[in-house]
Amino acid sequence: MTLEAAYNLLYEGALIFLAILIGAMLIRSIMGPAVTDRVLAINMIGTLVIASIAILSLYIHENYLLDVGLIYTMISFVSVLVLTSVYIPSKIKRPEADNPAAKGTSRSKNARKTKENRKKRRAHK
Amino acid sequence: MIGWIRFWITAVLLVIGLISFATAVIGNYRFDYILNRVHAGGIGDTQALLFVVLALIVSCNSALDILKLILLVVFMWNTSPVSSHFLSQIAYYTDRELWDHVDRFKVRSHPETEHGQN
Repeated sequence: MTLEAAYNLLYEGALIFLAILIGAMLIRSIMGPAVTDRVLAINMIGTLVIASIAILSLYIHENYLLDVGLIYTMISFVSVLVLTSVYIPSKIKRPEADNPAAKGTSRSKNARKTKENRKKRRAHK
Repeated sequence: MIGWIRFWITAVLLVIGLISFATAVIGNYRFDYILNRVHAGGIGDTQALLFVVLALIVSCNSALDILKLILLVVFMWNTSPVSSHFLSQIAYYTDRELWDHVDRFKVRSHPETEHGQN
């Protein structure tokens, strides 16, 4: 067995194993019950694809695939950022914003509530 | 001879990296709690990619490829904690159980519930 054939066998085995893991994470991203599981599975798929691109670039002796891997790193990061920013509220919704008719009462209720909370926190300390 | 030594170092490091990836994927399926799953994903982002890239650094020949592979790990190690942070944040905002666990003093009510009911 020559050295080249041994390297090819190693890289092929690694790529097949990574493909199996990508399939497993794809199943997870489809059936995951919560939103977080899906986004986490997409993040993991990105990492696995980056590793397989890096292995593939040495397997077929092409340097430019490493540049593709670098760009893929940034794009997968941005995709996770955008997918999560959909679910993070920019600020907590207050009832005054919804119906301005109930402005005065709910505000005073809010003030009382925060005072109570402060008291509770102090007592806890 | 030196080529075979390089090959075996590559093989060992690559197998360690693949085992780390398998650990991350199995952890994603097996853990019950959401922040444990985020932690498993973080292991895949940092440790597994580090070992795979170390294996490729040992086996590749040109200096530019080594630089690009190191840059890959540097990018991934800078971006992975940020994405883990944001994943934990959407777990906090979408998972009611986690919200109640973290927000012990009930300072803010959950955005899905009506205000003032907690």
